[in-house]
Amino acid sequence: MGDVGSGAARQVAAGHDVIAVEKVGIRFKRNRRARRSFKDLFAGRTRRSRPDEFWALRDVSFTVKQGEAIGVIGRNGQGKSTLLKLVAEVVLPDEGRVGVFEGVAPLIEITGGFVDDLSVRDNVYLTAGLHGMTRKEVDARFESIIDFAEIGDFLDTPYKHLSSGMRVRIAFSVIAQLEEPIILVDEVLAVGDKGFREKCYRRIEELLAGGRTLFFVSHNERDLRRFCTRGLYLDKGRLVFDGPIDDALARYAADTA
Amino acid sequence: MSAATQLPPARKGGGWSRYRHSLWLLTRRDLRVRYSTSALGYVWSILDPLVMAGIYWFVFTQVFQRPVGAEPYIVFLLSALLPWMWFNGSVSDSTRAFLREAKLIRSTKIPRTIWVNRLVLSKGIEFVASIPVLAFFAVFSGAAVNVDLVWFPLGILLQAVLTVGVTLIVAPLVVFFRDLERAVKLALRFLFYASPIIYGTHDLPAELQGWAAFNPLSGVFSLYRAGFFPDQLDWYQVGVGGLMSLVLLAIGVLVFQRSERSVLKEI
Repeated sequence: MGDVGSGAARQVAAGHDVIAVEKVGIRFKRNRRARRSFKDLFAGRTRRSRPDEFWALRDVSFTVKQGEAIGVIGRNGQGKSTLLKLVAEVVLPDEGRVGVFEGVAPLIEITGGFVDDLSVRDNVYLTAGLHGMTRKEVDARFESIIDFAEIGDFLDTPYKHLSSGMRVRIAFSVIAQLEEPIILVDEVLAVGDKGFREKCYRRIEELLAGGRTLFFVSHNERDLRRFCTRGLYLDKGRLVFDGPIDDALARYAADTA
Repeated sequence: MSAATQLPPARKGGGWSRYRHSLWLLTRRDLRVRYSTSALGYVWSILDPLVMAGIYWFVFTQVFQRPVGAEPYIVFLLSALLPWMWFNGSVSDSTRAFLREAKLIRSTKIPRTIWVNRLVLSKGIEFVASIPVLAFFAVFSGAAVNVDLVWFPLGILLQAVLTVGVTLIVAPLVVFFRDLERAVKLALRFLFYASPIIYGTHDLPAELQGWAAFNPLSGVFSLYRAGFFPDQLDWYQVGVGGLMSLVLLAIGVLVFQRSERSVLKEI
């Protein structure tokens, strides 16, 4: 795993490829309780697919250049979140290749890394550390993380005693402080109050202005138009349209009408 | 706009330092959670082997008075019981390595072997922290210490290889075959009596002694015991056990690599 990028690929030259997805396919079991065998478990990538499996994504190819803001659209269950997870490299494809040449700040299941029994302070250090920040770097950003989340009074409260809104807030501010060049956003921001959501969106705009690459999954047309310039439209696990966001949304609207 | 929004320079640090960094973070988290939620903390991790040692000491020296092991028996017991707690704890926790941390694994892309290795490391640290208990009993009961004590670290190394190998096999398989969780518990209980913990390999019937070497724990425990009981050191057992441990580690790495893709989909 780790970075596939060579030294040359990491040079910050505007417009180089940061994500390359090549003929990617991934299949899942239709029935989670389906019978398994040892043969299944160790079968390599070349195994033929079986009747109780379906391809969540198949034959998807695209590249993303540095600084692009991409919105992924499609109906429920068409592979949007799976695509995001593939780019975050938290699942691996059965076919094709996913190359991610820069660090990624994934806003996917953001509260997942937080431990109930530890205090907010410990959790911030833990999560930031798992995403590659050193202790010193966290020290330097600690204030701004806490300020952003507006939970200064709860630093030593065990995480489990926070309200669900506070949990999302602190999780978002940790990831948003990561200095990674690629940001992945799944519909996490649906939680939290309106004021905080607006604050998150402004933060994403700031990051975009700073040259970050954005990968955004949403059903909200307004949000998509606000951030994204390019749209990927997924239907039945295939990439059916790749182009300007307005055209992608129009195509989506036409299909669902 | 703050400085943090500017595009950062190329990333620092190689894969290996990042691996160590993440491994250490999660290990520390494990220890911290375990000790922040219980009042007695450290005491618990030594109380368990102490109570067990007390029971076996009573049964075998006070009730039966049948000579097994060596004198002082309490040192003989603890020198294998404490490392057994490390092995037992790591393997039984590895059955839940992926299931318990599913949310975190789904959101970070750190190398997946860390989820298993952190268990071995945190239990290993607890083992090292329990060595003073062994030292205390050795002094208290007047055990003779000899130069073979230098093999103690080799025992730790060999056991680490063995434990990592076994946990790399168990952890991914349990995700697919949940029944394995209970099977592992049962196997561990069997292994406790099948390993030279409450007895030494010399106490076995002659025809079984050759086979005992194929339990890698025999070699490991003989290294730990050598410093107090020089006649327990058996290089044949250490050699066979070491070889078995390396083979298990190789199998573990293979199983883990081949099943990683499926594990990530399943959790």
